[in-house]
Parts: sequence; structure tokens; C-alpha cells
Amino acid sequence: MTRLLRRFGLRAVAFGYLATILVGPLALVFYRTFEDGIGPAWDALSTPETVNAFKLTLIITAIAVPLNTIFGIACALAIVRRRFRGKGIVNAFVDLPLALSPVVVGLSLFLLYGRDGWFGWLGDHGVQVLFSLPAMVIATIFVSLPFVAREVIPTLREIGDEQEQAARTLGANGSQTFWRITLPAIRWAVIYGVILTTARCLGEYGAVAVVSGRLQGETETATLRVEERYESFDLAGAYAISIVLAFIAVLVLVAMTVIRPKEEATQ
Amino acid sequence: MSIVATGISKRFGDFVALDNVSLEVPTGSLTALLGPSGSGKSTLLRVIAGLETPDEGEIVISGEDATALAPQKRGVGFVFQHYAAFKHMTVRNNVAFGLTIRKRPKAEIRARVDQLLELVQLQQFGHRYPAQLSGGQRQRMALARALAVEPEVLLLDEPFGALDARVRAELRDWLRRLHEEVHVTTVFVTHDQEEAMEVADQIAVMNHGVIEQVGGPRDLYEDPQSEFVMSFIGPTTRVGETWVRPHDLEILLSPSEDAAEAMIERVVHLGFEVRVELVRADREKVWAQLTRDQCEELELVDGQIVYVRAAQERVFA
Repeated sequence: MTRLLRRFGLRAVAFGYLATILVGPLALVFYRTFEDGIGPAWDALSTPETVNAFKLTLIITAIAVPLNTIFGIACALAIVRRRFRGKGIVNAFVDLPLALSPVVVGLSLFLLYGRDGWFGWLGDHGVQVLFSLPAMVIATIFVSLPFVAREVIPTLREIGDEQEQAARTLGANGSQTFWRITLPAIRWAVIYGVILTTARCLGEYGAVAVVSGRLQGETETATLRVEERYESFDLAGAYAISIVLAFIAVLVLVAMTVIRPKEEATQ
Repeated sequence: MSIVATGISKRFGDFVALDNVSLEVPTGSLTALLGPSGSGKSTLLRVIAGLETPDEGEIVISGEDATALAPQKRGVGFVFQHYAAFKHMTVRNNVAFGLTIRKRPKAEIRARVDQLLELVQLQQFGHRYPAQLSGGQRQRMALARALAVEPEVLLLDEPFGALDARVRAELRDWLRRLHEEVHVTTVFVTHDQEEAMEVADQIAVMNHGVIEQVGGPRDLYEDPQSEFVMSFIGPTTRVGETWVRPHDLEILLSPSEDAAEAMIERVVHLGFEVRVELVRADREKVWAQLTRDQCEELELVDGQIVYVRAAQERVFA
């Protein structure tokens, strides 16, 4: 008995925990969505507001992910390869979005771009930031900022700079060294970081909720739409959208599992 | 193609890596920078390559001031201790890297890479990745890669340091022959005095960020200018205030006025060489190096009282 417990105890705890917290609720959402067949779910997904919500989520993601990828790589290179004053502060600040509640981020943007904020004058010149796409993009960029940098930094440390130095002595200039040596060496870390960033962007709720204004069919992202449907007692609609988001999450998970072993094998 | 370093100083924080070092490497020579770890030898090499910027001093390569030149403009080939192989490229692409960067025609690159792979005996490994090669093969690939761009000077940083003894001896020999073939001015860093003596025609002995002495292997052995050089190049034993090469220590069976009494502690047979460990009357330990024949003739045994005399000794101020 104790032997059995020792063998399977830890596994049972891990699986049990995952089942209760993750798999169970997800399965329930899945069940509820398709309780009455695929028809009601499809109807809920094809309303113009919902289509628009998904479109908006994708647009925001398409802007935030490339920007954060470039910033993340540049930031990681600066932190690992350069010596400069205030490096420790930069390093700590990259992690800030992980520690800070997204609601606080949203609120700070509100104060910054609101009527009396530092950038309030933008509104007077016809540039609408709050309650429109720019603020939502900025909020999403903020919350999804650390992932690429956090993935790339340890990889850069591990590969060291000898390969880069070798490339320099062989005649490569800075950009040739980056494109031909550094980037291929960190590519799996970058891809992994991009996947995490994408997942974070798609799932962002708090910060965007504060700055979007939640105008149905206009500034409502997929996650905001789920909540709106739920509060309007349209559970079928809320479940259907949730399922799509969960499906994307599973895709991300699969992509990560496919990539992880490869990354470990190359090191 | 000569290298002239003048008054080079380099500090890392409080640590003085190089302290006003000057060195001249003649065209076509094979020079070793020899010293213990932390002596500044690698730093000097990296300063020559442009991988470190000196705090003071200047570097002239082939008569041209290179002090402010970026590494890619110095025309140097650099070989790292840990190979610095481009892991995501095949052996061919590693070797071709410098030529690809220079946008040479494909056919020319192919021909040159073939020629170099043959030179380093890696012809059949062209399509492998560095991870599929042994340490010695990786280092030969790194050498071919550095030679591909026809550098004016070839710099090697402890090139054989990470390899096992047998491969090291093989590559040493091979480097010497390669140098005779291509005649590129070469500087290599090592902490192994035997390696330096065997491969180099000029050795700069470094210690604590300064060059103690520069000379041919024989000059350094026969005529060391400091205690450090004498003890670093070849074996030494200390008799009172003087330094003696163990093979210059004579063992006599009967007293003589210039010989000191000593007792044999141990006789170690190492094949052709025999090591005799002695304690003198003043309790100081010395050792003598004899040939097997000399030892047999004297019939030395442990515990025996003998008389030792230095045939050639040295006092350093």
C-alpha cells in the first residue's frame, strides 16, 4: 500500500489538482456550448459584434506581438551584452508587468491619456487614444512585454559571446553578426517567447477593460465580449466565445510542447 | 604582416591585466605568449585582435596603426580555446563564413573551402554539424575557418587547452607543419612551457601583466633573466640562494670542498630519466636529474650519504 502510494501518490496529486482546477471547468464549458448541438454556438459566434470582437483581438495581437518581439530581443541584447548605467533597473523594469495587476496598468493609461493627463492634449488635436484602438494596443503591449526578453536573456547568457566574437574577426559587422549568428542561436527562445506573448495578448482582459470603454461592436475584444455576453444572460454566447479562446490556448500549448524538446536537444 | 604592440595597458576594475607591455612579432614568425593563468597573455592576444580595447598604448599591424580599428577590419584570424563553432551551421558553412560575408563568388568559395578542408583533413566531414565532431576536429575546423579569409596574422588563444594530451600533441605537430606551409605570422597563447618550446620560434614569457623576457626557446632555457623565467621554463631546484637545473646538480660519492653533504631520500626511476630526491645537512630539500646509466654507475640507494655540487648555478637579484 505504501509502495503504491509512493509510486502513484505524487502523480495522483498533480493530476487531481489539474483536473479540478483546469480540465474540469474547461470540459464543462465545452459541454455547455455544444449541449444543444453546434447550431446555437455557431449563431452566437457569427453575430456582427462577436466577429468584430475577434477581429479587434487579432488586430491588437498583430500589432503588439511584433513590437514586443523586437523590443524583447533588443532589450535582452542590451542587458546581456552591454555594460551601461542603470542596467539593473532596466532588468527589473522588464519584469514589472508580471508583478503589476493589469487593472493598475489600465488605470495609469487612463490618467496619462485622459482629459487632464500629460497626453490629454492629444485629444484636442483629434487623436483619440482612450476608448479606441491606440489605448488598447498600448495596454496590451504593456502587459505582454516581458515574455520575449525573459526567454531570450538566459539563452543569450548560455551561448556566450564567443561565436559573435569569432564572426567579428571573420569580417562580419554588427548587423551581419546579429542576423547570421546571434538570431539563429536564439531562435527557439524567440519563438517560444512569441508564443507566450501571443497567448498573453489574446487573453488580456483587465488593462484593456479599463481603457477600451467597451463599446459593443467597436472597442470590445473577445475576452470583453465573453463578459458582456455573460452579464446579458446570454450564456450560450459566452460559452461559444470561450471555447474559441480555449481552442487557441490549446493550439498554443501544442506549439510549445512541439518546440520545447527541440530547444533542449540543441543545447 | 608584423605586429608591434607598444606600451599596452589594460585594467579590468582594480585588476591590472596588462601593465605597459611592448612586444614585437616579426613577419612570418610563430610566437608564443607563455605564462600562468592571470598573467595577461590572453588579454594581450585579444587586444591585438581588437576584441579588447587597451586603456593605453598602440597596436601596429603590417605597419598600419590598428589601435582604433574594429576587429573585422584588422585582417586577423582568431582561434578560440573552446572553438566558438557556429553550432547552427555545417562544417562547410563554418569554414565558408568569412568568404560568404565578403560576398565572394560561389564557385570560388566552394573551391577554397574544399582546399581548406583538405588542409585540415576534414574533407569527409563537410556536411556534419560541429556537435557531431570531436574536440580536435572542431578545433581544426576553427583553424580552417580562420585561415579561409587569408588573414595577415593568425591568433590562437590556448588552442589546444581543451583537448586531451594525445590529440594536443598531434595538433601541436600539425600546427608547426601548417606554419611551415602557409607562413602566416602566428601568435598563440599557452600556459604549457613544453608546448611553447616545441612549437614556437619566439617566446614571450608573461607574469602579472608584464613581459618578463622574450627570446628563442633555447635562450630562455639557457639564459633566463629572472627567477620567474628560470622556474617557469624547465625544471629547477633551489640550493640556498641559488637556482640550479636538476641536471646540473652533480652527485659525488666522496666529500669535496665545493660539495655539500646530503642524504638520499628516494630514487625514482622514470625510464631513461632518474630523479634523486635529497635532503641536505641543513634540512633543505633538493632534487637531481640523472640518466639511468649515471645512476647505475653510482649505485645510489635510499638513505645513502652523498655530496652534491652545482655544475652551473644562477643568482637573481
